Amino acid sequence: MADIEINSLMKQFGTFKAVDDVNITVNDGEFVFLLGPSGCGKTTTLRMIAGLEMPSSGRIAIDGRNVTFLRPRYRNVGMVFQDYGLYRHLTVFGNIAYPLEVRRLGRAEIASKVEAVARTMQITEVLQRKPDQLSAGQLQRVAIARMLVRDADVFLMDEPMSHLDAQLRGQMRAELRHIQKTVGVTTIFVTHDQLEAMTMADRIIVMKDGEMLQFATPREIFERPATEFVATFVGEPQMNILDARLIRLEGRIVAMTEHFAVPLDTDWAESNGLVARLETPVRVGIRPEHIAIREKPDADHRIVAELYSFEPTGAENLYVLQCGSVMVTTRSSTTETAHLSKQEGSSLAVRFDPNWIYLFDPATGRTIAQAAGSDVSKEDI
Amino acid sequence: MKKFAHSMESPAAPSVQRNWWVYVVLILVCLVNFVPYLWVVMTGFMDGASASSATPAWFFTPSLEAFHYLIVEKDIMKNFFNSVIVSLASTFFSVTIGMFCAYALARYDFTGRDDVSFWVLTNRMMPPVAVLIPIFVTFQTAGLLDTLAGLILLYTAMQLPFVVWMLTGYFRDIPRRYEESAMVDGDTWFSAFRKVTLPLMMPSITATSIFVMILSWNEFAFATFLTSTQAKTMPPAIMAYSIGADIRWNVLGAAVVLITAPLILFVLLLQRQLISGLSQGVVRK
Repeated sequence: MADIEINSLMKQFGTFKAVDDVNITVNDGEFVFLLGPSGCGKTTTLRMIAGLEMPSSGRIAIDGRNVTFLRPRYRNVGMVFQDYGLYRHLTVFGNIAYPLEVRRLGRAEIASKVEAVARTMQITEVLQRKPDQLSAGQLQRVAIARMLVRDADVFLMDEPMSHLDAQLRGQMRAELRHIQKTVGVTTIFVTHDQLEAMTMADRIIVMKDGEMLQFATPREIFERPATEFVATFVGEPQMNILDARLIRLEGRIVAMTEHFAVPLDTDWAESNGLVARLETPVRVGIRPEHIAIREKPDADHRIVAELYSFEPTGAENLYVLQCGSVMVTTRSSTTETAHLSKQEGSSLAVRFDPNWIYLFDPATGRTIAQAAGSDVSKEDI
Repeated sequence: MKKFAHSMESPAAPSVQRNWWVYVVLILVCLVNFVPYLWVVMTGFMDGASASSATPAWFFTPSLEAFHYLIVEKDIMKNFFNSVIVSLASTFFSVTIGMFCAYALARYDFTGRDDVSFWVLTNRMMPPVAVLIPIFVTFQTAGLLDTLAGLILLYTAMQLPFVVWMLTGYFRDIPRRYEESAMVDGDTWFSAFRKVTLPLMMPSITATSIFVMILSWNEFAFATFLTSTQAKTMPPAIMAYSIGADIRWNVLGAAVVLITAPLILFVLLLQRQLISGLSQGVVRK
């Protein structure tokens, strides 16, 4: 068990900067996720922590020990690869025992350790099989068992669930989180699946183009995204983004899109210094669950939209609405919207909750103003 | 249930045809391949007179005259063991060295890697006899003429491109993950290579070795020119003992039996390895 400290880590392939100035401090026992689209440098970062790739510059310390340029075997990390990296000429037992054999443990000790971890991962009955006789779920369990079997300081997982079907993935999420908390080993998990990161992580690092955009708790990532990219990358369906200009209308500041005005909270607008940004373009962000819909327009629900498509998901209904030339997705519970028309083309009235509006800078992508409704900053993170 | 039974079946598959003509073709191919060999073997057991008679005879009294001549008078077993030593040693060296070259080409991305691969391949394009004279002179200078070491060195060099070229492809088929995973688990690179990559490569390496060994075993041109008494291998020896002023057919036949017997035994014993090695990388998920 150990903490990990990464300082201004950089990796360059030719002229391409795969990882640029990454700074991370992971506490002992923490479950941290590297989240980002493919090619964002998250796997390269993980491989540098494992020692499979040498950084171009920067420093990596595990448990206070500088391991930046050490070979993998001197780092005592356990790793699960995307395609599991199981040896197909060995049985499951042989695969799990491999790291122990490398450490020259006694036969009896190896057998007892392998059996103990096999029980934890519920793979006792397949110990004598070869990897090509296992299902994807079992392969995954074997790979995790091999990581768990030795007393590694740090666990590293490179998209270990990407080959599982959706149902199994749901099960594995809970199980992995449980195991990580039980074993208490500092773990870094790479994924491009925001749901995986949001549900399992203690903290998430969002990466894009080799750069770290934000390093925070899932809740903070969700409620106080540092950039527009982070805001749209997490959450499903993703946050609605509208191009607008800030103007003064009837005495209050509104975000004026091409077709309609989005009223903003006056106090919030002032405390975020929006007055200075009047007449400049902004990007308005609002999550689908913060858009309310009614049958007829009223004082609050002023924006009229046409139903483009209706997507029931069971407990919730998704309405994809066309407001002028922009598409907006809303999400509300099935009971709330039971009385509304589900007919494509019918007209509905829309209200954007001013408490949950985010503003982003169109040039830099940075967040100008976080939603007023979020109280996450008051929380002790 | 019964009512639906017929509709649950998939539409009738076309009945498997007994393609008798396939067997005809196979038998023809076998005949074309084996009858000449059979004839050579038979000739080997004839005496000098019946072997060179104008009317070939299917039935004759077997004689070991030719074998006696080769083994006792000419001591051909010495050439036989020369061949064994040269082909085993050159196979061992070319496969061992070639394996590491192939590994480097398959795993590491270095400047000029493609050029090296291509150069390796072009080495096979030139007919070896083209460099016979320079090699003869080199051997003469280095004192390697008529030595086993010289032949081993030469064959190793000649087989290397083939080995590198074959094994590079097979190494590429083995994901790097295996070694990386072993290294993270605490292994050194070399023991990861030995314990993980090599076992997976074994069928391919075996198949390549067999090919290389057969090529070395049968090599004629260089062996003829570079050896005389001490290091002469089987192919030139056969030529020397059976073909003089006239061709002694029964001696040639007996020599052919001696030179092909080990190969046939070898391939019969290892044919499963050979086939699975050649199909490596094809049947894999």
